[in-house]
Amino acid sequence: MGKIDLAGPGLWTTSVGSFPKPDYITKARSRFARKEIDREELRELEKKATREWIEFQDSIGTDLIVDGEQYRGDMVAFFAEELPGFEIGGLVRSYGNRYYRKPIATGAIGRDRPLTVEWWEYAQSLTDKPVKGMLTGPYTICDWSFNEHYASRRDFVLDLAKVIRDEALDLERAGARYIQIDEPAASTRMDELDLVIEAMAVVTEPLTAHTITHICYGDFHKAYPKMLDIPVDQIDLEFANSEYSLLDEFSDDPFTKFIGLGVTDVHSHELESVDEIVDGIRKSLKHIPPERMFVDPDCGLKTRTVDEAKAKLTNIKKAVDVVRAEL
Amino acid sequence: MPIETTVVGSYPKPPDEGQPFTVRKTLHALERGDAGVEDLARAQDDLVMAVIAEQEAAGIDLITDGLARWDDILTPFARKMAGFEIGGLLRWFDNNVYYRRPICTADIEWRGPVSVDAFKFAASVATKPVKAVLPGPVTFARLSVDEHYGRHDKFVLAIARVLAQEAFELEAAGAAHIQIDEPALLDAPEDLELATNAVYLITEQLKSVESTLATYFGDAKRLGPELFDIRVDCFGLDLISGPENIQLIRELPSEKNVQAGIVDARNTKLEGENDLVREIEELASLVGEDCLRVSPSAGLEFLPREKARAKLERLVGAARRVGA
Repeated sequence: MGKIDLAGPGLWTTSVGSFPKPDYITKARSRFARKEIDREELRELEKKATREWIEFQDSIGTDLIVDGEQYRGDMVAFFAEELPGFEIGGLVRSYGNRYYRKPIATGAIGRDRPLTVEWWEYAQSLTDKPVKGMLTGPYTICDWSFNEHYASRRDFVLDLAKVIRDEALDLERAGARYIQIDEPAASTRMDELDLVIEAMAVVTEPLTAHTITHICYGDFHKAYPKMLDIPVDQIDLEFANSEYSLLDEFSDDPFTKFIGLGVTDVHSHELESVDEIVDGIRKSLKHIPPERMFVDPDCGLKTRTVDEAKAKLTNIKKAVDVVRAEL
Repeated sequence: MPIETTVVGSYPKPPDEGQPFTVRKTLHALERGDAGVEDLARAQDDLVMAVIAEQEAAGIDLITDGLARWDDILTPFARKMAGFEIGGLLRWFDNNVYYRRPICTADIEWRGPVSVDAFKFAASVATKPVKAVLPGPVTFARLSVDEHYGRHDKFVLAIARVLAQEAFELEAAGAAHIQIDEPALLDAPEDLELATNAVYLITEQLKSVESTLATYFGDAKRLGPELFDIRVDCFGLDLISGPENIQLIRELPSEKNVQAGIVDARNTKLEGENDLVREIEELASLVGEDCLRVSPSAGLEFLPREKARAKLERLVGAARRVGA
C-alpha cells in the first residue's frame, strides 16, 4: 500500500489523465505526419503544451498533477507503437466520428526501453506538487488490440503485464509516488475480471507507490464488488455520467479503497455547476470518507475543448473547496 | 451451385491507407460550419458506392450499404421516432466501440421512414440484391433506458410497432431482404417469448421479403431451439464468438435457413481457406446447401478497411470451392 503525502484532510483534486490538445499541437501533429516538421520541433511544442497544462493545474490549486498527455495520441497505440511485437494497424471507429489505429500483436510483446519516464521527469520538473505516472493496463492493451500471435488472451495479457510492470518500476525509480494503471476495458467481460486481477497483481506486486486504476464505460453494477479485488490502492470511476447510481451498490458492499470520484461528464459540452458537483461530493461522502477520496472528471478530458476542460476543472476545484470548508 | 455469401451489416468507413477520408473530414467541417448537410450526404453517397463496389468485387451475393450513414443501429431510429432522447456513451457489447444510449421519455411513434431513402440509393447503385438492416425490438429496448412505459414488454412492443412500419415501407420500396438484429437476445433468454411476439409484428405483414434474425457476439445456447420459433426465414448465428452454435444449427427446422458467421469480423488474423472449406462443408451437410448462407461473424466495422476486404475475399474463395 502506497502512502499519500498530500496536504490537507483529504478530498484532493486530480485528473484522470488526458487534456485537450491546443490547436498548435493538433496542427503540429498533422504537419509531423506529413513530414513537414521533424520530431524535435513537434516535441518542443508538446513540451510547451505540457508546461501550460501544469501551470494551469498549479494555478487552480490541483493537488495531484497529470502531464495531460499532449504527446500521446491514443492511450493504447502510444504504448503499442513503441513495443516490439506490435504492428500499428489501420483505422477503426471508436464512436461517432472518432477513430483510432488499432494495434496488431504479430509477435511476442517485449520492451526495449522506458516509454514514459522522460516525460514524467519533465512534467515533475515543472511543479512542486506530485505528478502521476500514467500507464495503460495490460488487459486494456490486449482488449483494444488485434491478436494474430498469442494462442490465448491470457498469454497475451500476462506478457503485457510484465512490460507494464517494468515500466512502472522505472517510473518509481525516477521518483513517481503515484502511479495510475488505466484499465478502462476491465468492466467489459465479467468472465475475464479474474484475468484483470491476475494481470494487475503482476504489475503492482513489486511497487511501493500509491497505485490507482481507472475503469470506465461498463456495467459496474455487475463488476461490483468484485472489482475491489483488483490489487491497487485506488479505483477511479465515473459518477457524473451515471448520475451517481453506483453509490447505491456501496450501501450493501462498502467501497474499501481510495476512490477517484468522477464528477463531470467528459463527453458533454455542458458545464456542471459548482452546486451540482458539491451535491455529488456530499452524496458520495456518505459512503467514503474524505481521507480516501480524490475528486476528478469522469475520464480523460481530451475530447473537450481547452476552454471546456479548464472550466470543468475549475468548477471541480471550487466545489471541493466548498465541501472541504464543511469538513 | 456454390454456397451463397452475405455480410452482417456494417462496413469500415475509413478508406484504404493513404486515401482521403472524406466522410470524417466533412463531418468535422460540418461541426465548424464549413460544410452543409448536402456535402455530408454526397460524401456518404460516395462511401456507400465504394462499400457496395467492394462487396461486389469480392463476390458477395447479398450485400448491404455497410450502414455507412449510421453511427450504430439504434440512434438513427431513436432520433427519428417520437419518444426518444439521446443519452450518454455506452460500450457496444464487449467491443471498444461506443454508442449513445436512447432514452425513452414519451410515447413512441413512427414519424416517417429512417432507412428507406438509404435503401433506395444503395439498390440503385448495386448490381447485387441489397439487404436492409433494422435493429431488433428487444435489443433496442435493452440498450435504451425506459423512463416512460415502466414495463419492459410494453416498451419492446411499442418499438416493434414502429419497426414494423419501417419494414413495411422498406418492402414497398423494393427491399427483398430484411435483417433484424437481435444481439442482446443472447444474454436475455427470458425475453425470447417477447422477442417472438415483437418480431412477429414486424414480419407477419411482409409479403415476399426474406427475413433474417441476426445474432452475434456470442452463442444462442441459452435460447435453445425455441429461438427458431421466431417468425423469420433465416437465422444469423456467430460461430466465432459462439462456436457452440454449431449444436443449435443441428436443430434448425428444415424450412428455415441459416446465415453462418464463420470468419472473424473482430480480429485481423485471416482464416485459412482450407479450414473454411471444411467448415462450410460441415454446415452444408447439416442444413443442406440451399439453406446455407455464410458470412463474417458480425458487422465488419471492427476491422480496418483492407482487412475487412481480405476477409470477404477469403470467405467467397472458400464458399465457391464448396458445391462447385
